[in-house]
Amino acid sequence: MSHPSKRRRLTPSPPPISSPIETSSDELAAGSDHDQERRRVSLNAYPPKRPYPRSRSFSSSESPDELAMDADDYWRSSNRRRNQSVWGRSEDENEGDEEENENEDDEQENESMNDDVNETEPNGDCDMDEMEAAEENEAETYSDRSPTPVPPPPPKPDSVDYRQKFLLRGHLRGVSAVRFSPDSSMIASGGADGAVKVWAASTGKLIHTFEGHLAGISTISWSPDGATIASGSDDKTIRLWNVLTGKAHPTPFLGHHNYVYSIAFSPKGNMLVSGSYDEAVFLWDVRSARVMKSLPAHSDPVSGIDVVWDGTLIASCATDGLVRIWDTSTGQCLRTLVHEDNPPVSSVKFSPNGKYVLAWTLDDCVRLWDYVEGRCLKTYQGHSNKKYSLSGAFGVYGQRISARTPGYAFAVSGSEDGAVLCWDVVSKKVLQRIEAHEGVVLGVDTCSTEEGRFMVSCGLDGTVRVWEEVTASEAGPEAEPEPEAEQGLDQNHADGENSDKNRDMDTEMGEAGELGGETGDPT
Amino acid sequence: MNLSLVDPFVLAQDYPDTLSEKLRSGHATCLRFNRKGDYLASGRVDGTVVIFDVETNGVARKLKGHIRQIQSLSWSRDGRYLLSSSQDWKCILWDLKDGSRVRTVRFEAPVYIAELHPYNHLLFVASLFEDQPVLVDISSAKPIKRILPSAPFRAAPSKDEEVDPAVAAKQAAQDAKHSTCVTVFTALGNHIIAGTSKGWINIIETQTCTTIHSTKLCAAVIILLRLASNGRDVLVNSSDRVIRTILMPDLSQLGIDLEPTNIKLQVEHKFQDVVNRLSWNHVTFSSTGEFVTASTFMNPDIYVWERSHGSLVKILEGPREELGVVEWHPNRPFVVACGLESGCIYTWTIVTPQKWSALAPDFGEVEENVIYAEREDEFDIHPAEEIHQRRLDAEDEEPDVLTIEPSKSGDIESFRMPVLLDLSDSESEEDIVAVGPGTMRRRSPGAGSKWNVNGDGEKEGRNGATGRGARGRRR
Repeated sequence: MSHPSKRRRLTPSPPPISSPIETSSDELAAGSDHDQERRRVSLNAYPPKRPYPRSRSFSSSESPDELAMDADDYWRSSNRRRNQSVWGRSEDENEGDEEENENEDDEQENESMNDDVNETEPNGDCDMDEMEAAEENEAETYSDRSPTPVPPPPPKPDSVDYRQKFLLRGHLRGVSAVRFSPDSSMIASGGADGAVKVWAASTGKLIHTFEGHLAGISTISWSPDGATIASGSDDKTIRLWNVLTGKAHPTPFLGHHNYVYSIAFSPKGNMLVSGSYDEAVFLWDVRSARVMKSLPAHSDPVSGIDVVWDGTLIASCATDGLVRIWDTSTGQCLRTLVHEDNPPVSSVKFSPNGKYVLAWTLDDCVRLWDYVEGRCLKTYQGHSNKKYSLSGAFGVYGQRISARTPGYAFAVSGSEDGAVLCWDVVSKKVLQRIEAHEGVVLGVDTCSTEEGRFMVSCGLDGTVRVWEEVTASEAGPEAEPEPEAEQGLDQNHADGENSDKNRDMDTEMGEAGELGGETGDPT
Repeated sequence: MNLSLVDPFVLAQDYPDTLSEKLRSGHATCLRFNRKGDYLASGRVDGTVVIFDVETNGVARKLKGHIRQIQSLSWSRDGRYLLSSSQDWKCILWDLKDGSRVRTVRFEAPVYIAELHPYNHLLFVASLFEDQPVLVDISSAKPIKRILPSAPFRAAPSKDEEVDPAVAAKQAAQDAKHSTCVTVFTALGNHIIAGTSKGWINIIETQTCTTIHSTKLCAAVIILLRLASNGRDVLVNSSDRVIRTILMPDLSQLGIDLEPTNIKLQVEHKFQDVVNRLSWNHVTFSSTGEFVTASTFMNPDIYVWERSHGSLVKILEGPREELGVVEWHPNRPFVVACGLESGCIYTWTIVTPQKWSALAPDFGEVEENVIYAEREDEFDIHPAEEIHQRRLDAEDEEPDVLTIEPSKSGDIESFRMPVLLDLSDSESEEDIVAVGPGTMRRRSPGAGSKWNVNGDGEKEGRNGATGRGARGRRR
């Protein structure tokens, strides 16, 4: 990895970033302070939390959220003040919105260092102010920021460029779920034809086909050791498949009274969480294939399940419009997230660090929630999602920022018009729109490996497509990204004609459960 | 990740209060948590070691190698290796990655207690029945045993002092009567703390196997020594019905700030039942060392004392049988104990009621009545698009979804035990369940553990005969 600080110095002005108004329709001029306040109040049904001292750890991981939050506030305010003086002086010639972007960069960087330097912040800030007063050079200021071990990140790219690498055919009907294996070497896909197929990620070759389910598969999950795939089906069972031997696990997980809709392994692989059309969430002991706990989760079919990275929390969502956060060890509900409009939630996903959840709702939105505060932070739009249980993932783009932050985050989702959309998590801008499939794109997953960054998508057209990120590193940050629409077209041409397009589409839509056909019928 | 959501009142409670579950796989006599607290090893009367997954309460692994009752268990620091000692005169070091035996060490006598070195899993110390304790190096296939002294340390007489041969002979005779009952490593493993049958505590240097300090603590046999997680507090259970906590000097300072002659072991607290004169089967520190827990002889109760004041804070009740080994989870208020009669493993935790406000986000729990103040614009009507747009505009925060904050507890994550899906292959006779007169059926796969509270009593009779085994070794 090159030194980002040097790169920063070499580029005198940040790359031109078009203003938010141009790129995404959802960013209009900010409302008045009064309006913002009103929104906050209405969403914050809770009174502010009492600051109890937390002396003892309940789980092995700790996140001092309240502390971090306070520190962030402090930094934000102090940064704003400082940034105005610095950038106002050094970059007067730039336009206003660029300055804003710079501020954003700066803030983010500061947030990332907060963890390390909470104690020294006040001192560090004073030093910096003095230095800035003394030195005109922006680069010098950056490199001499003494209390931070974190070098400033290079400017944030404003697009990603994923291009199709493989087109995997084999499923006879629509493919509802696709996942990279934990080591990213394999791809598993499950579809309405009741088969789980395992593909080699590097070559696109079919490794295994697991057949045994009596009905379509809605969801699959890899065990964390990568040796087992679990699949949940409309035949009400969950089955395990051994990838190493290519054999089925002899005992299916029986217990759900209706379609199994969403499953997730715990990070240790000893538990499996499943959500079903029977409105319950089950915790399974994987070793004994028995239900450990049954959570009386929702009053509508459970459409999505996820487990946080350390396994202490479970998120579930349902078409009743609720997202619930559960404590794994006690089985109690800790938080419920609900949007005012109460749209059916079709899928839920924890952020990689587990502090936020991403929820797909059938009002054409994907929302990022801060579940601790119970507040919606971001709304991602641009795709269409009215009927199907779409799902997606978080991904990483750009260069590594710090030891613990591998880059910038994007959220990716399929769309009912056949596209795959990548949004920047912070700015909500569409980084790339891929015209990926003929018909609905039901699932997307991402992975980062040594060789590069990949996405895989699946859809109602029965195909699985692997996408590889084309890095513009040779061209440098100044290189002009190609217009996104054109890319999409190119790829479509490259695919050639999709012979079996729209095949079986109507029947699949009619089938309940497996593809979310019924979950959110707006009528 | 759940800390920010859990009720702070629950987090503030330090000790468990409710009997929650009953784990069962054979007749357990000895228990030990690993360092991370996600697995609980239990040794059974029939010599099998069963490892429970604490999260699922299911059996994660069964280790078969001993033919007599398991006496003690000791985990390596990373949780990959487990040392078991047994009455069949053997110690086995297991590799939990594949369940294989790394080493099997035979002794000339039954083993009381064997403990692994805190950092080197190929070194352990074992105290033997009516024999000298040994330090065993198993780095090579042939174990190297070094005998540890049991006699108390006597300062070498200075030159000008007359040594009466009669006194010296008497002393030697007395020293010969000492036998070591329990040995543990100090936190760094540079020293071994040994408790003798005459109530002495010896501090032995691991490197040289020589005693550098001895203190007479009491007149009775020292049954058990436990080290707190801070490595400085030692819990001593002795047969005079008193539990003592001792403050250890910082032995890493030996030779720098501390001379062996200046070592003083101070008794900090004595815990005893003055009225009933109960004696204690097994003792343990709590995860933080704040509490001392003991199971009682001929009594189904577990006593919990607070250490700062030395006061009794809780008596854990529940099962109707006498309890043997009691263990405290390494980082949660969670206590396990095994029953002597049935061999069941009982667990005590804090049971919290569901907070109903968590289920309905638009409700909040208030301490007392609050007069509601209506906001000025609360019932203003705005067009839906406008509201939607405003919401979008207000989303100006910068969430960081990637950076994982390092945990304060320091990462001891290293080894991950594979999840076995085919445990049924190794099931034994206990998995045959009597379903009626003369009809037997195999239990469903992996069902070796009965962990629901309404458990079965089907094997009560068979295990009754061996029930007293855990305590029977010392009188």
